[in-house]
Amino acid sequence: MAPKICALCQNAKAILKRPKTGQQICKDCFFYVFETEVHNTINEAKLFSRGDRVAIGASGGKDSTVLAYVLKTLNERYDYGLNLFLLSIDEGITGYRDDSLETVKRNQQQYSMPLKILSYDELYGWTMDRIVSQIGKKNNCTFCGVFRRQALDRGAALLNVDHIVTGHNADDIAETVLMNIMRGDIARLGRCTSIVTQGEDTIKRSKPFKYAYEKEIVMYAYFKKLDYFSTECIYSPDAYRGHARTFLKDLEAARPSAIIDIIHSGEAFEIREEIRANQKAQQTCTRCGYMSSNDLCKACTLLEGLERGMAASGITDRARKKLDAEGPAPDNIRTIPFFQPPSGHPLVAVETTA
Amino acid sequence: MSADACGNPAVETEATMDRRLKYDRSKACIKCKINAGRIVVRHAVYCKDCFPTLLSTKVKRSLEPHINPRTELSRRKSLKASGNLLIGFSGGLGSTVLLDLISKIYLSNRNELRPQDPTDGKARGGKDHPRNEPVWQKASMTDRGDEIKSLMQDKYQNLELIALRLEDAFDRKWWDQVGGRASTDVAIDVTNEDLYSRSISTSDMSDPIQKLRSYLSALPTHTAIDNAIRTLTRLLLLHTARRTQSSHLLLGTSLTSLSIRLISSISEGGGFAIREEAQEEWHPGNSSSSLPIRLIRPMQEITMKECSLWAWWNDLYVIGKEKRPGGKQGIAALTKDFIVGLERDYPSTVSTIARTCAKLAPKAEAVGSCILCERPLQPGVQEWKSRISIRATAPSSPSSAPVLRSLAPLLCYSCHTSLTSRSSKSISTKSENSPTPLPFWASAHLNALNTVNAKDEGGDVWITRRVGHNEMKGAIGEFLLE
Repeated sequence: MAPKICALCQNAKAILKRPKTGQQICKDCFFYVFETEVHNTINEAKLFSRGDRVAIGASGGKDSTVLAYVLKTLNERYDYGLNLFLLSIDEGITGYRDDSLETVKRNQQQYSMPLKILSYDELYGWTMDRIVSQIGKKNNCTFCGVFRRQALDRGAALLNVDHIVTGHNADDIAETVLMNIMRGDIARLGRCTSIVTQGEDTIKRSKPFKYAYEKEIVMYAYFKKLDYFSTECIYSPDAYRGHARTFLKDLEAARPSAIIDIIHSGEAFEIREEIRANQKAQQTCTRCGYMSSNDLCKACTLLEGLERGMAASGITDRARKKLDAEGPAPDNIRTIPFFQPPSGHPLVAVETTA
Repeated sequence: MSADACGNPAVETEATMDRRLKYDRSKACIKCKINAGRIVVRHAVYCKDCFPTLLSTKVKRSLEPHINPRTELSRRKSLKASGNLLIGFSGGLGSTVLLDLISKIYLSNRNELRPQDPTDGKARGGKDHPRNEPVWQKASMTDRGDEIKSLMQDKYQNLELIALRLEDAFDRKWWDQVGGRASTDVAIDVTNEDLYSRSISTSDMSDPIQKLRSYLSALPTHTAIDNAIRTLTRLLLLHTARRTQSSHLLLGTSLTSLSIRLISSISEGGGFAIREEAQEEWHPGNSSSSLPIRLIRPMQEITMKECSLWAWWNDLYVIGKEKRPGGKQGIAALTKDFIVGLERDYPSTVSTIARTCAKLAPKAEAVGSCILCERPLQPGVQEWKSRISIRATAPSSPSSAPVLRSLAPLLCYSCHTSLTSRSSKSISTKSENSPTPLPFWASAHLNALNTVNAKDEGGDVWITRRVGHNEMKGAIGEFLLE
């Protein structure tokens, strides 16, 4: 049988079937379309300005490893004029992050990017191992998710960067659209397809891989010989999300465009005006100064529960009422340092390669 | 991922949420507080006497505000529609229950709402339960038209039956009957993403069944076939509603079916028209000057389980809908399996999905209607598609036959994706140059657009087509050095 010719350049031998479009293409055309689509995403959303200091949320997994490589490539090819940094969060789960953080440290050397690793222990005084030993395996994703989001912002403020980019891919976003509809989370549904999220006092966050398929990210890493660690969290019991992910994979098998079709749907609608008007306004946490929907931000609420030995108070209304009934928080509990948005100068020294 | 880590609910019992009791109050009926409950509806139990009131209240709540003028919102047992009522009846569970409820609430003696004992002394449970009947009596699809006709004659003589068949969408006689604009047959080339269209002579393809088969066999996936059948059915009903001077078209979509439809519509890229999945206003011929026909789903607060129990208690004969061979592999069937499975462990999911989607609105103003499904057309679809997934490094060109225009900019995202998105198990048997006929309303829209173009250009008829690279080269060839 004669070799298939690349459907794009009509010249080279096709060596892969593109997961997103089903086209049979050659390696060079795959690199070209993958990188150009990310560049189109960046351009269309006007994500960056020349001179921006941009932190890449780096976990050592496939998404952030490929993101660091592609951003460095595009920054040079299209002369974005960006100062790129790596920012990692160490949740304090024994055996989970160790190898991944080694990957990040290697990336720091390969790409000559400064690296900052910030730990939950350093910021909150609690590691995930200790949190799980107190609350058990139920609901611990809530703690980890809330703490990580705030830790990234605080790490970015320490680095004095203008912008954090994360490796969320198209599969993650499509899954989140479905999850938010099924859970009735209108507020998150309204913003989960936005490429950029930014509160008044928070650091700009964006997802340049918003339209990149997970399979293509793996394919890119494979052909570029990028190494990364695939580590599943040993504490993640989100069964509901597991159902949604399996469903999404089934949809993708039935019609590969389903992932991008869901994102298109999510971008095409918005929350009706009258519903939006009744949503809570954003404010700042009275204790730590971070953005919040209530007087106390979610991270402070969760931390107070941990410190007072009533961890469920951040999860259920009933436990929260029980905590409130016991009186105000004592002065001696550990709290999160007051949030300082980027001041213009880095507050910490970052590790750089020689 | 190892089997003993990461929240595998089968292994880590501690990792899963505690399952709520099926009913968490008491076993007595939540309404009369006297009788023992016979059905659990989202953690509340109802007895057999209170259940009919529950269903009729839900139907009235979903139907009457859309039909009666505001001042008529009293509890009067009548509908004050400005035209006739057309009820879509497929023979499936939802439409069977809808027909029964509408007939009992509005067309007959109110006492009939109470379930009668339908058993006539016959055993209906145990080994005689219908679930024990052989499922696969026939492997092929059966025409249920006669069964529907005899059911209507037996039970609903006061209603007029209009039989519609899918192939009517390709039948000039039907199109003339519903008062459609005169038009020539148009076919498209589905092997090209731009979907170039061209006129075909009637002699090429005159049999409506042949045209329907040709249309369906050109579609690349099972998802697309399901989507096409749904669109054809919907528009056949809407055009018939216009013909029968109906102001309202009622469909028996249950809450469960609505949630399934909402999720599968989103998964097929139909987010811009998500509101229309629950309720829509259709302007015949896309003309905003004509009175709209309202498509209403009065069962949208009633779950499939409630429908089943109503049918069982009232001994309703559910003819059943034919399952299309291969349909199991489509997004609609996958979504159904997923939602029905989820509903078992999380009974509120279907109502959450419907309530969440009811809070959504399109982000942009529509720029007309899709010529295939006649739902709102979102601007910038093709530009979005080409930006986020690059499919060509050079512009495509149509086949050598004379073409009318590219259909792509006239289609909504969902219809364009249906016609073009392929999977590794693509089922289309079409080759280039074999034309795929379009339903008559789509041909009529295309003809109308071309006429407008012709008028704009001063009365001459212009054919718009993309110029291929070879043709360009031919025109400038003598100036090229290599």
